[in-house]
Amino acid sequence: MAKGSAVSSRQLKILVGGVQLRDGVGTVVDLVGRILTRAGLHVLANERNYASTIYGAHQFDPLVVAAEPPVSHGDNVSDILVALEYDANPDVPGQPNRDTIIRHGQYLADGGVLLYDSSTGTVPTDDFEARGVKVFPLPARQIALRELKREIVKNMVVSGALFRLLEFDMDQAYLTAYLEERFLRKGRELVDLNLTAARRGREAVEGVLKERGWEGAGIRLEPNPPKETMLWMTGTDALGMGAIQAGCRFYAGYPITPASPLLEFMDRYLQQYGGRSLQGQNERESIRAAIGASMAGARVMVASSGPGISLKVEEFGLAGTAEIPIVVVDSMRAGPSTGMPTKTEQADLRMILGAGHGDFPRIVLAPSTLEECYTMALEAFHLADKYQCPVFFLTDLTLAEVRKTVPERFFTDRTVTVQREGILSEEELRRDGFKRYKITDSGISPRSLPGTPGGIFKVSGTEHDEFGFVTTEPPRRKAMMEKRMRKLETYLREDAQGPQVYGEPAGVPLLLGWGSTKPVLLSARTALAAEGIEAAVVHITHLWPFPVDLIKPALERASALIVCEQNFTGQLADLIQEQCLLPTRRVLKYNGRVFYVSDIIHGVREILLKGAAAVRIGEPEQVEAVEAHEGD
Amino acid sequence: MSTQPAQPSAKIAASKIWEENAVPRHRIQWCPGCGDFGVLNALKMALTKLELLPHEVFLIGGIGCSGQIRNYLNGNGFHGTHGGPMAYAVGVKMANPNQRVVALAGDGDTFAIGVENFVHACRRDPQVTLIVMDNGVYGLTTGQRSPTAGLGQDITEWSEEFPPPFSSLRLALASGATFVAQSFSGDPRHAADVYVAAMEHPGFAFVNDFSPCVTYNKFNTYEWFKSHVEHVPDSHDPADPRAAWELLADFDRRERLPLGVIYRGPRKRKTFKPVPIHTEELAKIDLEPMLKSFR
Repeated sequence: MAKGSAVSSRQLKILVGGVQLRDGVGTVVDLVGRILTRAGLHVLANERNYASTIYGAHQFDPLVVAAEPPVSHGDNVSDILVALEYDANPDVPGQPNRDTIIRHGQYLADGGVLLYDSSTGTVPTDDFEARGVKVFPLPARQIALRELKREIVKNMVVSGALFRLLEFDMDQAYLTAYLEERFLRKGRELVDLNLTAARRGREAVEGVLKERGWEGAGIRLEPNPPKETMLWMTGTDALGMGAIQAGCRFYAGYPITPASPLLEFMDRYLQQYGGRSLQGQNERESIRAAIGASMAGARVMVASSGPGISLKVEEFGLAGTAEIPIVVVDSMRAGPSTGMPTKTEQADLRMILGAGHGDFPRIVLAPSTLEECYTMALEAFHLADKYQCPVFFLTDLTLAEVRKTVPERFFTDRTVTVQREGILSEEELRRDGFKRYKITDSGISPRSLPGTPGGIFKVSGTEHDEFGFVTTEPPRRKAMMEKRMRKLETYLREDAQGPQVYGEPAGVPLLLGWGSTKPVLLSARTALAAEGIEAAVVHITHLWPFPVDLIKPALERASALIVCEQNFTGQLADLIQEQCLLPTRRVLKYNGRVFYVSDIIHGVREILLKGAAAVRIGEPEQVEAVEAHEGD
Repeated sequence: MSTQPAQPSAKIAASKIWEENAVPRHRIQWCPGCGDFGVLNALKMALTKLELLPHEVFLIGGIGCSGQIRNYLNGNGFHGTHGGPMAYAVGVKMANPNQRVVALAGDGDTFAIGVENFVHACRRDPQVTLIVMDNGVYGLTTGQRSPTAGLGQDITEWSEEFPPPFSSLRLALASGATFVAQSFSGDPRHAADVYVAAMEHPGFAFVNDFSPCVTYNKFNTYEWFKSHVEHVPDSHDPADPRAAWELLADFDRRERLPLGVIYRGPRKRKTFKPVPIHTEELAKIDLEPMLKSFR
C-alpha cells in the first residue's frame, strides 16, 4: 500500500503529539482512525499516552495503519511525526513547546516525514533533513485563526495536510461524507468550513512539495473499500458491549482512570436495555450496590482500577462466602498507591489472586485483545452465575484504551442466548424444599430469588449452616468451607481453559505472557524467527484457579520459560514457579510504557545468549525535555 | 386527622408467621432485657399490620447485636459487611423496585463506619426503611463508644477521644431524607406504628429507635429514656421542613427526645421496572444502538 515508500512497506506508524486538551491530539487521531477504517484500511492505536492532569501536559498517540490487520503496535519507531504544538513555553524560554519533536524525533525513521505546526515560527530541522526526513512546516493554527476565523478548525487543517501527505482521499470524498454525517444537521456552512480547512492544509503541504521540488512524501495509502462493515472502537467499548450481550443489567462504578470510560459506556447504554448504571459515592458503595442487585437477581458488574480495587476488597470475601455472583473488572494502571494513573502496568495479579482475608473461591480471567474483552465477558458472566462467586476480569490501561479496526461481523456472529443458571423456580422450591447452602458434590448450591414463594433465604458472609443461619460448630464449618472450595475443582473439571499456544513449544524457548502483551509477543516471535531464533508463545488467559494440568505439559517441553510482563517482580512468573514447580526467566517492564517488539528481542537475547535471569527494560532518558508535573 | 401515629396505639397482634424460618425464640442471643427485643416485637406487629408475607420481605442486617434481628424474623435475610446495609439496599431496590426492603442496623454501623452510605441514602431516596437500633455503644465488641455515645450526659469538656454525640435526625434532614422519625423500643406499640408509617413512605424512611443496651450502657437506661422521651405533638406538621428543625430545637431546649414522625416530604421520583433478569427477558437483544456509534 505504501508505494515507492522510503519507510516501512508493511505498516505505517503515525505519531500525533501535542499539548493535552489544547492541541486536539485525540480529535485528529479519532478522525484519521475512523476515516481510514471506512476506507478499508486497518488501524491500531495501542499506545495512547496521556497525562493525569487534564490540560497542558504532553500527550501522544501513535497509530499503526496497514492493509491487513496489524499483529501489534510494533516498535517505538514512527514513520510520520505530527507535532501539534505551536508556541514557545513561557516557563522555559530555552525549550520551545516542541515536546513532540524533542521526545519522539529521535524515534522517527530515517526518510520519514515530520509535519509540525509552524504558526509561531519554524524550528531547526537540519538534523532531520540530514537523515532524509521530509519536513513540512504547517501554520495550522494561523490558517484557522487568521484566515478562517475559527481556531477550532485547526485540527481539520492538520488532518487535511496529513491526508495529503498520505496521498489519501485526494477528492475529499471520505472526509465530506464524514463531515456531512457529523455536522450537516447543524448547517451546511459548518461542513464547508471544515472542508475548506482541510483543503487549506492540503494546499500548504503542496506548497512545500513544490518549493522543495519533491514529488510527494513517499507514501500513498490506497483505499480498499471494505466488503463488510468495519468498526473503529475501543477495548472498553468491546467489554461494555460484551457485558450487555452477556446479560449484565446492573453496573456500578466510581470515577477512576482507566475504568471511567466503562462507567460512561454503561451510563450511556444500559438503560436502553432495561438496566441500571450507578455511579457510587465511593468504591465500596459501588460494589455493595452491585452485590445487592445480584441478590435481587440481576447479572452485575463493577469496574475499577488498583486503588479502587483495594477499597473493594472486603466485599470480595463476602461475595465468595455468601455466594453472590459478581463480575469485577480491574483495569490495571501503574501502581502502587496512586502510582501513575494514566500509565499502563500489569502489577495487580497477585492482589487479585489473594485479595481478601480467609479462603474463598474466585475465578480470574485476563483477556489479551480487544476481541477477547468481548468474548471473555460473555464467559465471565456465565461463570459468575454458575459458580456464585466473584469472577475477576483483569484488563489494563492498554486494553481499555486501545482503538482498533474490527469487523462488525465479529460481534454480530457472536451473539449468545443468555441462560440463567442455578436459580430455582417456585415449583422446584415447593417440590424439593430449600436449603440455600445445600451441601452438594459440585459445591454449587442453587439459589432462589427474593420474592419467590417457598424460597425464603438467609444469606450471610458470617459462617453459616445449610440454611444460612450462623454457626461455628466445627463439623458444619468444615463442611461449608469444603463445599465452597469444591467449586474450584468443579471449575477446573468443567470450565478451565488452557493457554493459547502459538508454535510448537517442544525444545524451544517460550515467550509467556498474560493480558495485553500478547500481540507484541507474537510480533517478537516472528522477528526472532527472522534472526534464526525459533520460539513459541504461550499466553495464559485463565489464571485462577490455575489450570496446572492444562498449562504444565506445554511448559515442561520447552527449553526455557521467558515470562514477559509489565511489573517489577514477575507476578505470573512467580505463579508459574509456584504452581508448576518450573524455573522461569523474566523480561520485565514497569516504566509506564507498553512493551515494544525490540524490548522482547533484547530480553530474549540477554537471557538466551548471556544467561540473564531477569531483564529490566527501560527507555533512554529524555534529558532535553522538561518534566511534566502531573496530578493524580 | 392526626399526622402522628395514634396514641396510645391499638394493640396489634403479631402473626406467628414471622416466627417460622427463623432462629427459635429460645436461641435468640440478645441479653435479657435488650432493647432489640422491643424492636423485634414492634417489627412483627408492623409487618402483620401491613399484611405482608415473609417471602415479600427483604431484611438487610448490619454488623452488631442489632443485625442479628434478620435471623430472628421470617423473611429473606442478608448480612454483609460493616457499614454496608444501605448500599446493599440501594442495589436491591434498583434491580427490583418491587422488593420490600428493610435495613436493620446499629448506630455504630450506620453513623460511624457506614455514615457515607447513610448520608447518600438520604439523597438517593430508595424506597427502603432503615431502622437504627441506637444504644450509644458497640455492644457486640463489649461496649466501646459509638457516635451517639454521651447522649444526655452532663460533660463539660470533650476531647478527640470522646467527642459529643451527634444528631442523626439532623444529619438525615440536612442530607435530604424524605422521612425522619424516632421511636423507643420501650414503647413497641408506638414504635410499630412509626414503622408502619415508615414502610408506607414512598422513599427512604429513617427511623432512629432508642434501643437500650442493658449490659454496656448504664446511663441511657429504660428509666432514663422513659423520663426523657416525649411524643411529637399532634400540632406538628411533618410536611414542613422548617417545623422539623424547630421541633428538634424545641425538644433540645427542653432536654427531651421526640418520638414520632418528625419529617415526611415525599419526593417526586422516576419510576423504573425491575431490570431484566430471566433467560427469556435477556433473549434477542439488538446490539445496533451500540454498534452504530463505532461506524
